[in-house]
Amino acid sequence: MIRVTTTDIEQLARLLGALPPVPAGWVEAAMELPLWGAGLDELVARAESDAAFRARLVADLESALAESGLNPTPRILAEARQRLSL
Amino acid sequence: METNRTIPDAALVARCREGDGEAWGLLVERFSRYVYAICVRAFQLTQPDAEDVFQDVFAKVYGGLPKLRDDGAIRPWIAQLTRRACIDRLRADRGETPLDEVEPDGVDDRLAELDEALAVREALLALPEACREILDRFFARDESYRTIGEALDLPPGTIASRISRCLEKLKAAMEDPEAALRQVDG
Repeated sequence: MIRVTTTDIEQLARLLGALPPVPAGWVEAAMELPLWGAGLDELVARAESDAAFRARLVADLESALAESGLNPTPRILAEARQRLSL
Repeated sequence: METNRTIPDAALVARCREGDGEAWGLLVERFSRYVYAICVRAFQLTQPDAEDVFQDVFAKVYGGLPKLRDDGAIRPWIAQLTRRACIDRLRADRGETPLDEVEPDGVDDRLAELDEALAVREALLALPEACREILDRFFARDESYRTIGEALDLPPGTIASRISRCLEKLKAAMEDPEAALRQVDG
């Protein structure tokens, strides 16, 4: 629990301005983490058990992600590369 | 869609851990400005660096929730994750610079202020929607009376007095949070 040390109007006004809005798209991207996290889990598991599928991922990760229903944003691509040790 | 007003942090965390996607959305919404402000106000990161840190922090929060020992301590945990991620980013940009040289002066004071700002924002949620919106537009979004008037279909001449009244309501809500909630719910 945070204790606010003042209820002075000017101080409240200043504190209201201390948390600016987050740029468009950032919050939505963070909210989607569970969706693509689960998709990536499936993809990595399949790559570990299916050599042909892994070869396709290595050859063209972006297309393979899109075919698996994952939007291949730079962030998801980076995460996939790391998880797949590419 | 649930609102973000009445669910305590610990309950929200417990629901996220059970795989409740809506709760995760509420948690991100609740702490997004806080994380962003730590990046850009306390550590003065550039926008691209702040975006990377912002997404990294929420990825770590999501991945770390199963191991969080005290569900009610999510805010200080997020603050710590964000602070560490900001320092890592600054050090990556500047080589192996000592910690006290990468942290901007006064960072502890700024972080304490952001903690207070988050508490004020939580109190804001107890106010009627009209008050929340006008205060957020004016103070956080830095919109002019004219822009606010056009967006909310209000004469610009009435904006100042509305802001003043809403600030008084916020002050009252902070002094007696339960009374403010009763007023909104009633």
